[in-house]
Amino acid sequence: MWQDTKRIFLDSAEHLLQAIARLLPSVLAMLLFVALSALLAVAIRGGVRRFSERLALDRRLREWGVWPMGGDPRTSPTKLLTRVSFWTVLALGVFFGLSALDSPTASAVSMRLLEYVPRLLVGIAIFAIAVGVARVVERNVLIGAVNMGMQSARLIALGARWLVVLLGAAIALDHAGVGSSVVTVAFGILFGGIVFALSLAVGLGAKDFVARSLQRRFPDAGTSEGPAEQDDARGQIHHT
Amino acid sequence: MATAGSETELVDVDSPDAANTAAVPAPKVGAIAGHSSAVVREAVRLGAPAAALLSSAAHDESLDWLGLLLQPILEAGFDYVSPTYLRERLDGMLNTAIVYPLTRALFGRRLRQPAGGEAALSLALARALLAQPVWRQDPTYRGSDAWLVASVLAGPFRACQAWLGRWPGSAAQAEDASHALARIVGPVFQEMERHADRWQRVEGSEPVPSVGQAGVIADGPSTVDIGALEDAFRLGLRELGEIWGLVLPPGTLLALRRAAAAPAGKARLSDALWARIIYDFAVAHSTRVIERQQLLRSMTPLYLGWVRGFVEDVRELDGEATEARVEALCGWFEREKPYAIARWRWPDSFNP
Repeated sequence: MWQDTKRIFLDSAEHLLQAIARLLPSVLAMLLFVALSALLAVAIRGGVRRFSERLALDRRLREWGVWPMGGDPRTSPTKLLTRVSFWTVLALGVFFGLSALDSPTASAVSMRLLEYVPRLLVGIAIFAIAVGVARVVERNVLIGAVNMGMQSARLIALGARWLVVLLGAAIALDHAGVGSSVVTVAFGILFGGIVFALSLAVGLGAKDFVARSLQRRFPDAGTSEGPAEQDDARGQIHHT
Repeated sequence: MATAGSETELVDVDSPDAANTAAVPAPKVGAIAGHSSAVVREAVRLGAPAAALLSSAAHDESLDWLGLLLQPILEAGFDYVSPTYLRERLDGMLNTAIVYPLTRALFGRRLRQPAGGEAALSLALARALLAQPVWRQDPTYRGSDAWLVASVLAGPFRACQAWLGRWPGSAAQAEDASHALARIVGPVFQEMERHADRWQRVEGSEPVPSVGQAGVIADGPSTVDIGALEDAFRLGLRELGEIWGLVLPPGTLLALRRAAAAPAGKARLSDALWARIIYDFAVAHSTRVIERQQLLRSMTPLYLGWVRGFVEDVRELDGEATEARVEALCGWFEREKPYAIARWRWPDSFNP
């Protein structure tokens, strides 16, 4: 019995060692992939940091209102970008490494991931850009609407912001291949709703402004000149 | 240097020969970018002792306006003559509210209409302007009114102003306040940054020599709707308060809230507060707290809020009393200059 146990144990150990020996080159290849991708990630992180600094990205994004002013000094757009680029390259390296393993399941999973991850990353990038652009649009629309004297300026600015966010989200989801038909229909309904709400807000909030603009542009239109029109020149301020 | 839709003319006063007169078409919008440098270059090439950068709008023919403009250079040895016009009390409001008091407080010289879009230059000044590297560095900025005036006032040049009668008007369509602010005040703030080492050493102000008859056109009482100006200020404070919070210190914001909380028809910004606001926005423009066009356009409700008080003050005043009111505003800009210097040097320090 001892002999049998010993034989079975040795056979198993031999099989295990043979399996490890078979697997070892692919494991080493995977580790090599991971190590190379880590090096690449460090290099790309440095490149992204230098590129951001050259573009003065932090200052510009704060200036445009994309990134909050005076937030946590430990976080900045540059730091976020360098972290994202580092971990993305490292994750891709790990997926490549998994595909090198002599394991059909691991290879299949990694290949599927490698196929999908770039689309997902581009989708996330599209959404992030849309969120940033939406903030710039919101601030510009808010200032413009206030200067036009619209009482619903905040509502209009928020509407403009969400239009851009929704558009970005729809494009990002479509690019990532998530629920394409549902997203298209939902986006259409929401977009139409916001545009309708904005039209109402602009129409109700700026009717006086539009009337004044039309009056300035077509001064001869309408009824004959009355006392109010005669006084109009004296009732205006010339800024320049 | 001409107003929109006009031409800029170079006049060689020594020679009536048409070959020595150059005309350069102005851009359709904005007036400035670059063409004045062509005129100045031509003046230097011709060796003209004086060159005038003029709008082609019809000037006041009851006066020898060209003589008034060029004589100070030809006969009195001035380098720069600023054309100045008789205007109604509420004309050129941006000049009255910001450009004149700010330029005067910064450089200590009382040029009444420094953003007029016209000028007369001596040959020495023309050569000095051409030698400045900024003509080559930034084509959209070179040759602006603010650049030219600041170059003159910050340099060793002799400046004076010539009153040329009634304002010839502008061929351009009237601009709304926010566009005018961004177009006119932006370059002035830029000049403030360029000459920071110079203006921080200037105290008070002195008159510049003038030729011609100064004054303001007598007009009747204005019917400007000050209620609309007040509403614009209140709306701005309600909606843009967050943006202003990035620019203005808490004490100024509090003063603005107090002004807005006044009963209808009573909200007004004091001159001292207005001067501080302008200095704060100039600092924010320099430190790029927010994008510059957004910053300048966000000033509009504040500007209208100050204009509301000014319109009320001068409603029943004659030209002389209106000038006294402007003089009081300029006094506040000069008195608040130490505040500007402190904010400029330490923009991030706590400032209640």
